[in-house]
Amino acid sequence: MANKKIGRRQFIKTTGAAGIGAVGIFGSPFKVRRAAAAQKRSIPKDPIKLATVGFLTGAAAAPFGIPGNNAYRMLADRINKEGGISGRKIKLTSYDEAGGVDAQVKLCRKLILGEKVDVILGYISSADCKAVLPLSDELGGLIMAYDCGTHVLMEGDKSPYKVPKYTLGFRTKAHLGIDNIGLAFMIRKYLPDIKAIAGINPDYAWGRDSWLIFETAMKKLMPHVKVVGTWWPPLFTTDFTAHISALMGAKPDIVHSALWGGDSVTFTKQAMGMGFFEKSRMAFSRGEPYPQEVGRDYPEEQLICCAGTHYFLYPPHDKWPLNKWFVEEYHKRYGKYPTYPCYHAYQAMYTYKNAVEKAGTLVGGWPTIEEISKAAVGLSIQTPSGHLMIREDHNGIEDVLLGFSKRVPEFPFPILDPKRMEVFPAHVVNAPVGIRTVDWINSWKV
Amino acid sequence: MGLKNVITRPKFIIYSLLILALLFLPRILSTFNLILFEYGLTFAIAVLGFNLLLGYTGLLSFGHGAFFAAGAYGVAMIAKYFPGLYAMEILIPGALLLSLIVSAIFGFLCVRHTKIFFAILALALSMLVYALVFKFYHITGGSDGLYVKVPHMFGMTFEGTRRPQFLSGIYYYFLLGVFVGSFIIMKGIVSSPFGKALQAIRDNELRAELIGIRVRRYRLYAFIISGMFTGLGGALWSFINGHVTPDVSHWVFSGEIVYMTLLGGFAILEGPIIGAMIFTFLKLYAMGSTEYWMFIIGLTLIILVLLLPTGIAGGFKKLADRITG
Amino acid sequence: MISRSPPTISFSRYLLANRNSKMWIIYILNGLYFAALIFLISLGLNIILGVMGILNLAHGSLYAIGAFMAAWTVIALGKGAPMFLIYPSLLSGVVIAALFGLFMEYLLIRPMYKRALEYQLLITFGALLLLEDVIKMIWGGEAYYASRPCDVLGTCHILGNPYPAYFLLVMIMALIAGLLIWVFMFKTKVGVMLRAISLDREMATALGLNVHKMGTFAFVLGSALAGLAGALVVPTTPALLGFGMEPLILAFIVVVIGGLGSLKGALAGSLIVGQTRSIGIVLFPEIELALLFLIAAVILVAKPQGLFGR
Repeated sequence: MANKKIGRRQFIKTTGAAGIGAVGIFGSPFKVRRAAAAQKRSIPKDPIKLATVGFLTGAAAAPFGIPGNNAYRMLADRINKEGGISGRKIKLTSYDEAGGVDAQVKLCRKLILGEKVDVILGYISSADCKAVLPLSDELGGLIMAYDCGTHVLMEGDKSPYKVPKYTLGFRTKAHLGIDNIGLAFMIRKYLPDIKAIAGINPDYAWGRDSWLIFETAMKKLMPHVKVVGTWWPPLFTTDFTAHISALMGAKPDIVHSALWGGDSVTFTKQAMGMGFFEKSRMAFSRGEPYPQEVGRDYPEEQLICCAGTHYFLYPPHDKWPLNKWFVEEYHKRYGKYPTYPCYHAYQAMYTYKNAVEKAGTLVGGWPTIEEISKAAVGLSIQTPSGHLMIREDHNGIEDVLLGFSKRVPEFPFPILDPKRMEVFPAHVVNAPVGIRTVDWINSWKV
Repeated sequence: MGLKNVITRPKFIIYSLLILALLFLPRILSTFNLILFEYGLTFAIAVLGFNLLLGYTGLLSFGHGAFFAAGAYGVAMIAKYFPGLYAMEILIPGALLLSLIVSAIFGFLCVRHTKIFFAILALALSMLVYALVFKFYHITGGSDGLYVKVPHMFGMTFEGTRRPQFLSGIYYYFLLGVFVGSFIIMKGIVSSPFGKALQAIRDNELRAELIGIRVRRYRLYAFIISGMFTGLGGALWSFINGHVTPDVSHWVFSGEIVYMTLLGGFAILEGPIIGAMIFTFLKLYAMGSTEYWMFIIGLTLIILVLLLPTGIAGGFKKLADRITG
Repeated sequence: MISRSPPTISFSRYLLANRNSKMWIIYILNGLYFAALIFLISLGLNIILGVMGILNLAHGSLYAIGAFMAAWTVIALGKGAPMFLIYPSLLSGVVIAALFGLFMEYLLIRPMYKRALEYQLLITFGALLLLEDVIKMIWGGEAYYASRPCDVLGTCHILGNPYPAYFLLVMIMALIAGLLIWVFMFKTKVGVMLRAISLDREMATALGLNVHKMGTFAFVLGSALAGLAGALVVPTTPALLGFGMEPLILAFIVVVIGGLGSLKGALAGSLIVGQTRSIGIVLFPEIELALLFLIAAVILVAKPQGLFGR
């Protein structure tokens, strides 16, 4: 689609140039008309091919991929009802993020080269993001990673590094830095007497990077705390009993974990059965959806991070009507409260929409993906959770919300204790542009 | 066999025409389909090597993915640790060397056994490679895998060229050349006395031993050559895929290599090539049409084994024989 | 420069930290629990391998089918169903796995008797791919949690450490199954015939044993054992697509370590695998699965027939 447009523009330009040359001799009126014709662009009548990729099967589907996909569908319906994006309706197709990294590379290639989609909003697994985002520039397709968190996605090898790393690739959310730095700040504030920490994280980019940032921040903020062990079960492990026992044997006060999806649910259930929570406390860097998944039995006093400020009860509905709408509409359609993948879906969808609209206004028609990318940088949008800004490194930045789980009679699952909820502002938990997160943490003066 | 004899044979003429036609393929196929064709070519090289072991020596290995991985990770490691050496002239020999080492080790352990022990041992060793690559996250990238960027080739750099352009341009001709070269070399191997000896071992191990063929040693040589071809396929594949993950060392991937060979037919030299090309497109077609593509692939395999054990090439040959009487 | 967390806990530090808590008993129990499940799977694999000479690459799929069926039944019975119905309903997994095994044997394995080994492996590989999607077609892509059989038994205390009582039940069931198989194989006529066939197929045929019928029986028995493992595991772990793959690999390792076709080998191999994994995760958290493959490779090089193989 975009190539055809460029072809036409080229053609017009060359004939225009020839015309100008000829007309230069004969006078100006032709020149003005040719130039005006080159500016005007139509908006295509056919719908926008929007592909979403997320886990539709497997353990990550129910707590993650399916809520995200539900949110995409809900939002696409709303946007279409309001007239579409710049008058074009959205045609949403959902794809499964299953099959591993290699299958996702091939799927992305098929979507961009074969199906020629307008944009891909997707990717939950950090491993998939790392592999797929380079394809955005390689293949010439717009990709907005909506849920993955690894901080190395956009960072260079040394500080300072050049931004942006990709022209057509974005991550419409903050990376795992905010979760793990937030956890460290939270522990320092509320649990200053702890002596030993441990980690159990999935053995891939997401888990390794989460632990790295957490450990770095803890070493800076609470240097006297010791790490008594780290465990690395592969992603989608189903039997954590050996790990749980090993953790209990190491006797940490707090256990950091970036386990997510089915892993988090299975781990929590198995740990409950083995008496883990009588001895230690978990600090889940992505814990927000799981009290709802596990239900009333979910243990209290667990430190939970919301991957941003995404929580169905925050910001409070009376103060932030967009959250009120989002939560109520989602609950009406799907019978559950939206969790952070849903909020991330909103961010991706609306970043795309706003960037297209902004670029479209500038070029007077439907923008190319390069123009959309340029327009997306610096975009600041309102979301049901607050605000999202996309910086020049193509990463989003957000505030982060953390809390402790607590059972209340109003809900059938524990919520975040309102008396001990903390929001850390974006500039405190996001590294500045061009500086690696690890280097930034190490440069803090505490 | 004199050169004149070879050139005037009908097969040679047909193949030459075919290759000539293939030179024009980039103009006919879309970029997407051309990339698929290139995948098929790399698998063709890989299974050509595999079939030396299966079709000609009679050994079924369910662990050839490990050599494919050796080739692919060889490239990726050089990209990661020796970026200054990241040129095709170094990458291909490097990948071949790594596959040589891995297949020599595997071969030494495996060729003492036959039949089911051989198959299981090859499987277990390839899974060991898989597990090691998986766990040594800081070196190999673990399950995230490693990125493989477009390499320098014979002095040319491709900064600013997008990979699809690279793949539909010079890389296609390079790959085609390597493929033709591999085919000629493999043909030479199987027609040579060494190749004949392998077939003798396949047909009757005891008799081969009795007439003086050193069975175990020849099996080892076949294993190593086979592994190197597969590793070459893996290296060439890595540039097309742009990304290597431990999955290529998993036994299921090795199973696909066996599948491709059987699909095409392992009794003929060209068989596996046909199988590799058909499988590549079949898998993609199945994945594109339905979410139950594994069902289709599995069913096709079962039908193949039950009804067409000599594979598609074998089936054609039977047909051709019947027609010509 | 950030120092990475230690890849191992030094054994002495571990001992020091645990001198009062007696967690070692839990580590051993974890290993036994894991071994119990792997034992059932590899026992089934070895019976099929021994009697029919076929390595069933789709064995893990039968385990998964058992798990899905059991989970589905428990969920279908509903939250209010009494426990004396829930526990036996898990056995639905065993029955369905056995039925699938029967179909597989009749449709796929029987035509392969006369053919070379390669084809047998390939056809079971095809069955593996096919069954993955058959599971998806029947049960869909979601995770099946059926934790009631585990939850109701609660936690017991072993040397002061909490431990889920259900895990002990699993170990007891595996032990009973193992004993029954042993009695069957050594004390009943059919069992003796099976062992005869596995020891020397040609001689057994010459002596007039109906090898084909026995083969079918062995295949069904092996599949039922895989299904039993799946049914027993599902209260502790959700049934998911693709989760038959890892047990299959582990069963291979057990078969390699213990010896092809050997029932004693299945027991020994499972214990080794289970304990190595359990202790390994405590002491060498970075290594996990690779350690097991290493052991398997060492045994394959040193004693290729395995510990008890022929």
